[in-house]
Amino acid sequence: MEAVSDAAIVERVLRGNVEAFGGLVERYRDRYARYALHMLGNREDAEEALQDAFTRAYRSLSRCDDPERFGAWLFRILVNRCRTVGARRGRRAKTFVFDETALLSASEEHPAEQGAWREEIDRALQRLRPEQREAFLLKYVEELGYDEMSRLTGVGVSALKMRVMRACDRLRELLSEVHSA
Amino acid sequence: MRDDDNVKIKDVARALREPVRIDASFNERVMRAVRDLPKHSRLSFWRRWSMPRTITVSPLGASLVAASLVVFALVGLWHVSDDIDRAAKPIAKAIFPSKVAPDQHVQFVLVAPDAKKVAVVGDFNGWDASHSAYQAQHRGGGVWSVMAPVPVGHHRYSFVVDDSLWVADPSAPRVVDNDFGMTNSAIVVEEQR
Repeated sequence: MEAVSDAAIVERVLRGNVEAFGGLVERYRDRYARYALHMLGNREDAEEALQDAFTRAYRSLSRCDDPERFGAWLFRILVNRCRTVGARRGRRAKTFVFDETALLSASEEHPAEQGAWREEIDRALQRLRPEQREAFLLKYVEELGYDEMSRLTGVGVSALKMRVMRACDRLRELLSEVHSA
Repeated sequence: MRDDDNVKIKDVARALREPVRIDASFNERVMRAVRDLPKHSRLSFWRRWSMPRTITVSPLGASLVAASLVVFALVGLWHVSDDIDRAAKPIAKAIFPSKVAPDQHVQFVLVAPDAKKVAVVGDFNGWDASHSAYQAQHRGGGVWSVMAPVPVGHHRYSFVVDDSLWVADPSAPRVVDNDFGMTNSAIVVEEQR
């Protein structure tokens, strides 16, 4: 059975079918939860940012210029929401809850050692500066090109390359310490 | 990427690409929040005409449509010698029905001393600045006004000055983000009892 396109769902919602929006939530929920979770480091903040992104997308749906690329448009909103939630959390001086990230991300078949290694990755990721973490996740986890990253974040390509490079160096440094410990 | 390092970034990235699952109750929370927001009630004029759509036509349906077109064309040819006005009036009436029930008469007023022409456009007249019922008259002293029919409900509107300048109503609440990125005015028309 052929999947209904994003554009078709957007059209239904714009014609007043609120419930059709649930199709877009279902389609993008898990995919974008990964980014929010890695960016913010805990489930509570990630779900808050994601829910906020969806409701903002709904409210501004008539301004989505290319409904066929609704996912990319939603992702741009999410990246901004993660920045806002992250900044607010920073002001609250809240500590990261690393174990929740590991719990959500680790699959059951993984041996305990691999689970511990995943935890270390999450811990190291949260120790990166937010702008480096954002650039690293967009480049290596979401696998975006630098031009698309630049459009998404409003940051120049050379600055993004620098952030990614520094993020990689820092991750190697942090995770090598764990290896050699 | 530096392969000589103990830690390979591609392995880190692979681990982070593992799927993340969010509780399905998340959907309901989002939908509850969305249901509390104003419902989208219509497509913008531009989107309605520009949005691509798929139309499925059965062979029988296509035949009927083709036959109807032929009949319509023949009838049109038959009446071509009739007075054009007589033919045009019913069409105009169908496009702009003179009575849109339920509607109320609303007075729109704009002070525009330098204007040569002022019209009201809104979602109630298809944003058509040439609509005859929505042409404001100069009442003297730079005051332009028109009493025009508007259906009961929430509407967005604006004034069009001299066929080119869109002006939001200074006396009405503004709607900043309309579908065209311009500022319009908002009006709520209630049924008079």
